[in-house]
Amino acid sequence: MESSISQLLYVVLGVPIVFSILAVSNLFGKNLLHHLSRLSAVIVGAAVFRIMMIFNPGQPYQGTYLLLDALSLWMMIIVTLLYLAFAFTAEAYLDRDTNIRYGYLRRFSYLEGRFYALSHIFVWTMLLVVLVNNLGLMWVTIEATTLVSALLVAFKFTKTSLEAAWKYVMVCTVGICLALLGTILVYYAQLQAVGQDMPLDWVYLTAHAQELNPALAKIAFCFLFVGYGTKVGLAPMHAWLPDAHSESPALTSGLLSGSLCICAIYVLLRNVVILMPTVGASFISGICVGFGLLTIGLAVPFVVVQRDIKRMLAYSSMENFGLMAVGLGIFLPTAVEAGLLHMLNHALVKYALFYTAGTIMETYATKNMMRIHGMLKQSPRTAIVWLLGIAGILGMPPIGVFFSKFHIIASLFSAGSMWRGILALMLLAGIVIGILYHAMRMLGGQPTRKSAGELMGFMDTAAVFTLLILSGAISATIHELPFLGPILQESVKIVMGGAL
Amino acid sequence: MEYLVVFLILVVFLQTRIMELHRATYLLAVQSAIIAGSCVIVGVSSGGGGFHAFLPGLLTLGVKVIFIPWAILRLIGEIKDESEINSNINVNYSSLAAAFFLVMGYILADRLLPGTIGRDIFAATFLTIMTGLTLIVMRRRAIMQIVGLITLENGIYFFGLLMTEGLPLIVELGVFLDVLIAVVVLVILTGRMRLSFMTTDTGVMRKLKG
Repeated sequence: MESSISQLLYVVLGVPIVFSILAVSNLFGKNLLHHLSRLSAVIVGAAVFRIMMIFNPGQPYQGTYLLLDALSLWMMIIVTLLYLAFAFTAEAYLDRDTNIRYGYLRRFSYLEGRFYALSHIFVWTMLLVVLVNNLGLMWVTIEATTLVSALLVAFKFTKTSLEAAWKYVMVCTVGICLALLGTILVYYAQLQAVGQDMPLDWVYLTAHAQELNPALAKIAFCFLFVGYGTKVGLAPMHAWLPDAHSESPALTSGLLSGSLCICAIYVLLRNVVILMPTVGASFISGICVGFGLLTIGLAVPFVVVQRDIKRMLAYSSMENFGLMAVGLGIFLPTAVEAGLLHMLNHALVKYALFYTAGTIMETYATKNMMRIHGMLKQSPRTAIVWLLGIAGILGMPPIGVFFSKFHIIASLFSAGSMWRGILALMLLAGIVIGILYHAMRMLGGQPTRKSAGELMGFMDTAAVFTLLILSGAISATIHELPFLGPILQESVKIVMGGAL
Repeated sequence: MEYLVVFLILVVFLQTRIMELHRATYLLAVQSAIIAGSCVIVGVSSGGGGFHAFLPGLLTLGVKVIFIPWAILRLIGEIKDESEINSNINVNYSSLAAAFFLVMGYILADRLLPGTIGRDIFAATFLTIMTGLTLIVMRRRAIMQIVGLITLENGIYFFGLLMTEGLPLIVELGVFLDVLIAVVVLVILTGRMRLSFMTTDTGVMRKLKG
C-alpha cells in the first residue's frame, strides 16, 4: 500500500509538469493541446481518486519530503477538482477570446500554449504546497505560487493588468517575507527546545509542540499570521486581492480565489497546530475571529457600491475568506469542520461564478454591471447558471455554501459570545443585499445586447453545473459519503490536535 | 564579523541616499557580497566544514551578487529616460529614519532577546529590513522597489544566519530559487511596464481603486 500511494503521488506531481513542457514547446496544434490538457487533468484526477480510495485516514503517508495525511488529501481533492474544472472550461474560454473582436490571443497564437503551461505549473505548485512536509518548504512553495500566478495575472499585459500584477507581487512578496521571518523564529524555537534533528519537519514538530518557548512562539505566530494573512487577503493586508482577481483572465481568477488563497490558509493552519499548545487557544482564536470579522466588514461597503463584475466577486471572496478565518479560529470541532467544508464549497462555487462572469463580461464587452440587462430573456441558460451561483455563494440552500456558512455562524453563537454571531449575521446581510441587487439587475430588465443567444457552449455549461451540484451534494451528505466523510473528520482531528 | 556588520550599516545608510539607478544596483551587489562573506564565516565557525559550509555563501555570491545586479543593470540599459524622474522626497529624512531604525533595533534587541550574543547584528538586521520596506514604500521607481525587495530579503536572510546559522539546506536552496524567479518576474513586468506606460515610474499606475 505504501509504495502504491507513493507511485500515485509521482503521477500527480509528474503529469502537470510534463504537460507544461510539451505545451510551451509549441509543437502541437491547438486542438491537440486542448485534448492533452484535459487528458492530463483527468489522469491527475483519477490518481487522486485512487489515493482517496486506498488511503487510510489514520495512517499518513510519509516520504522524504512529502507528507500525505487527511488534511493534505482534503486540500488536494479541492485543488484537483478545480484543476479538472479548469481543463474542461479552458477551451471554451480561449476560443471565445480568439473570436471576439478585441481578442488578445488571436494575434499571438503561441500564447495559448504558454497560458496552458503557466496554468498547469500554477496548479502543480499548489499541489506541492499541500504535499510537502516541511514548514520551510511550505514557505518556498507558497512564494512560488505567487510568482507563477503573477505572470498569469499580467498575462494580457494591458495597463491595468500590469498594475494589478505589480501590486500583487510587491504586496504578497513583502507579506511572505514576514512569514519567512516567522518560520525562522519557529526554527530558532525548535533549535532551543529540541535540538537539530529533523529541522522544521511538521510531524516531528507537532510531537514536540509543548516544548517550544511560549514568548518566542507568540512572536512567530504574529509574523506568520501577518505574512500568510496577506496571501489569504485578510482585511488590512488585502490591497492586492481585488485588483489581481479582477484583472487576470477569468480562469486564473477562479484558480486564485478558489484554491490559491485557501492554500495559504492551509499553511497557516499547519503552523497554528504547532504553535497552539504554547501560545494558547484564546490568543490565536481572538486574532483569527477579529481579523475575520474585520475582513467581512470591510468587504460590505465595497460590494454595495461596486460596478465592476469581477471586483464584486473578489470582494465576495474576501468575505468568504474572513468567514473561513472565523470558522477555523473558533476551534470547536463543528466550526473547524464547517470551515474546511467551506473551503471546498467556496472553491467550487466561486470558480463557476468567475468563469460565468468572464463569459458575460466578454460577450457584453463591458465590465460594468450597470450596462448589462435582460440576461434572463436573451440567454436563459447562462442566466440560470449565474443565478444559481449567486444564490449559492450567498448561502442559499440548494448549493453547499449554505451548510458550511450555517454551521460557522451557529458555532459562533455556541462559542459563547452572542454578539459576535449577531455582528457576523448583520455583515452577511449587507453582502446579500449588495450582491443580489447587482445580480438581479443583470438578469431582469430590457435586453441591451443586439443579438440574442446563449453565451456558453455545451461542455463549459456542463462543467459549471457539475461544480454547483457537486458542492451541494457533497455538503449535504458529507457524513454519509464513503471516502470523503472519514477524510474530513480526520482532518478536523488534525486541526484540533493542538487544542486538545 | 564585526567589520562586516559595520560595512553593512554603512552600505544601508548609503542606500537611503542614492537616487541614481546604477549606483543603487552596485550598492545592492556590495550589500549581497557582505551577506555572502558572513555566510561563509558562519559556515566555517559553526564547525561544519566541507561543502555545506560554503554552499550558501557560494549561492549568495552567484545569485545575489552576480546574477541579480546583472539582470537589473541590463534592464537599466534599456531604459533611456533614466535621470528624468526625480522623486520629490528629501533623502535626508530617509537617512534620519534609518538612524532611528538602528536605535530601535538596539532597543528591540535588548527587550526581546536579552542575552543573545549578536546584539549589533540584530540591530543591523533590523535596519536592513526596515530600510528595504521604506525603499519599497517611498520610492516610486520600479527598479528602486526591486532593490528594496532584495534588501528586505537580505535582511531576513541575515537574521536567519544570526539566529539559526541558516535554514536547513533544502529550504535554503528553495529560498534562493524563489528570489531568482522573483527577480526574473519583476524584470519581465518592469520591461512590459516600460513598453506600456513609456516609463518605469510606478506612480502612474493608479487606475485600480475601490
